[in-house]
Amino acid sequence: MSAITVSGLTKNYDGVLANDDVSFEVAEGEVFGYLGPNGAGKTTTIRTVMGFQSPTDGTATLLDADIHDEPAMVAAKERVGYLPANPGFDENATGQAILDLHASLKGDSRRAELLDLFDVPIARKIRGYSTGQKQKLGLVQAFMHDPDLVVMDEPTAGLDPLMQQRFNEFVRDEKRAGKTIFLSSHVLSEVRRICDRVGIIRNGRMVTVEGVEDLLHRSGKFVRLRVAAALSEREITVDGVHDLSVQAVDETYAETAIAAGSGQADSETVTELTFTYTGDFDSLIDFADDYHVLELDVEEAPLEQVFMQFYGEADEPVAAGGDA
Amino acid sequence: MFEFSRYYGRRRVKGSAALTAGLAILTGLYIYLFPSISSSIDLDAYIQSMPPALRAAFGIQSLNSIEGFLAAELYAFGWVLLLGLYLAYAAASLVADDVEDGRMDMLLALPVSRSKILLEKFSSLLVPIAVANVVLPVFVYFGVVAIGETLSVADLVMVHLLSVPYLLTTAAIGLVASVLFDRTSLAQRAAMGTVFGLFLVDSVVTNTDFAVLGALSPTRYYDPAAVLVESQWDVTGAFLLLLAALALLLLSRTLFQRKDIA
Repeated sequence: MSAITVSGLTKNYDGVLANDDVSFEVAEGEVFGYLGPNGAGKTTTIRTVMGFQSPTDGTATLLDADIHDEPAMVAAKERVGYLPANPGFDENATGQAILDLHASLKGDSRRAELLDLFDVPIARKIRGYSTGQKQKLGLVQAFMHDPDLVVMDEPTAGLDPLMQQRFNEFVRDEKRAGKTIFLSSHVLSEVRRICDRVGIIRNGRMVTVEGVEDLLHRSGKFVRLRVAAALSEREITVDGVHDLSVQAVDETYAETAIAAGSGQADSETVTELTFTYTGDFDSLIDFADDYHVLELDVEEAPLEQVFMQFYGEADEPVAAGGDA
Repeated sequence: MFEFSRYYGRRRVKGSAALTAGLAILTGLYIYLFPSISSSIDLDAYIQSMPPALRAAFGIQSLNSIEGFLAAELYAFGWVLLLGLYLAYAAASLVADDVEDGRMDMLLALPVSRSKILLEKFSSLLVPIAVANVVLPVFVYFGVVAIGETLSVADLVMVHLLSVPYLLTTAAIGLVASVLFDRTSLAQRAAMGTVFGLFLVDSVVTNTDFAVLGALSPTRYYDPAAVLVESQWDVTGAFLLLLAALALLLLSRTLFQRKDIA
């Protein structure tokens, strides 16, 4: 059984297709990441699934309730938690008053436990809350009635890294407890740690739905490597290098060398390499071992890069070398 | 049941108390001034010189009696206009404000129908209506007694009781505006503009061939001067207002149920 099904969902805002024939399913018990750059149409899908707006075409179900069937949706929502992007609360109410209102309508069996975990100043009025505190209050209300399915739009936006960590652990625990989680994000690195599967949307269209492992393997890392040597593209002989850019930057090295006190301030050529890397790290380290490495940055590939690399307009990934 | 009514109703207590206090001060001032005004000027001669439309607009029948004075100064102004506009204004924010500030998603995610959200939010406006209409007549009565005048208690009760359907109607006009517009300021302007516009229409067309147009205005069905000065209780008018309020409520409910929350 599916917790959420979306079939052929289309939303037309005065000629702009925010969602164009979007279809996917979220299975019970999985953590599903809905991924896409800002403005791709994630929130449109989420708000349609929650029944806040009706689709131009297509339909969706939430815990088997058709989004057009209000009584069924009301019944389903007893088992659904929801966290909007930038959750809004009455500025003049205290966190306590808001949670009390929510509790009176859906229950709050887990309120105390969640408040311990997310540490919200509930006695204070919302006006005095920071963005992160509002986000945490939103998380508490989304989970406090122990729902089977939780839908979250950009849940980690506004959380500091420590809280983000705690949130990730929390989501993993919830999944172990059998919950279904559907969350959106525009940061791949954020969802990779908690999601089983991801659906990627771009310009209102579903690009792919796949396991997070497969996607990560394909998306690779963004690498920036500076070496004290004159290198040309031909000399980069590592498997799994894509979108390679090679640039000579000699004067910078002179400064670096003086600063490092090496005394050897000859203006030897420095090469900066940037590329997306999908190979294994041992080969990369072996390759770099032959040179004097000045800088090595390895980052999660930005989502846009993933798109360009694998789904982009005709841009075939440039694989360098091959006979290493 | 009534979780939203309780929540939003409680949040209106302070504002309602302030509103009522303001109206009480206005009332106190009028009552305090009445003896000196009525003894120094012949107000009835003065109002005869006013244009009939103006007299009709503020229900001015006689200013020399305390009843006529209060009907014109306090009720026609304080109740029909001020309170009527206030309720239209307050109702106009009920939905639009939550939509504009992104709070509506949070409410709609709760296991409740849209109808419940809308109607219970609207019901929170019963707090200012009730507080003003319970406190003010007591205040008026003792104020009038204090300056050595008398006033029919039954008429005083009725002028407040009959104002309730009127105020519900102006609030319902505000609610329709609130559902129609996603921006609070727009909804508020539309609501207050409609209520004030209808008041003007009713006033201007009196004694003209277009008097029938005034039938569209809620002000046509609530006449404080008739109640206080002539003891004429327009119960039929009150029922018509209740029906109109109900129709507007149902209209806004249908609109809200079909609305795409932006």
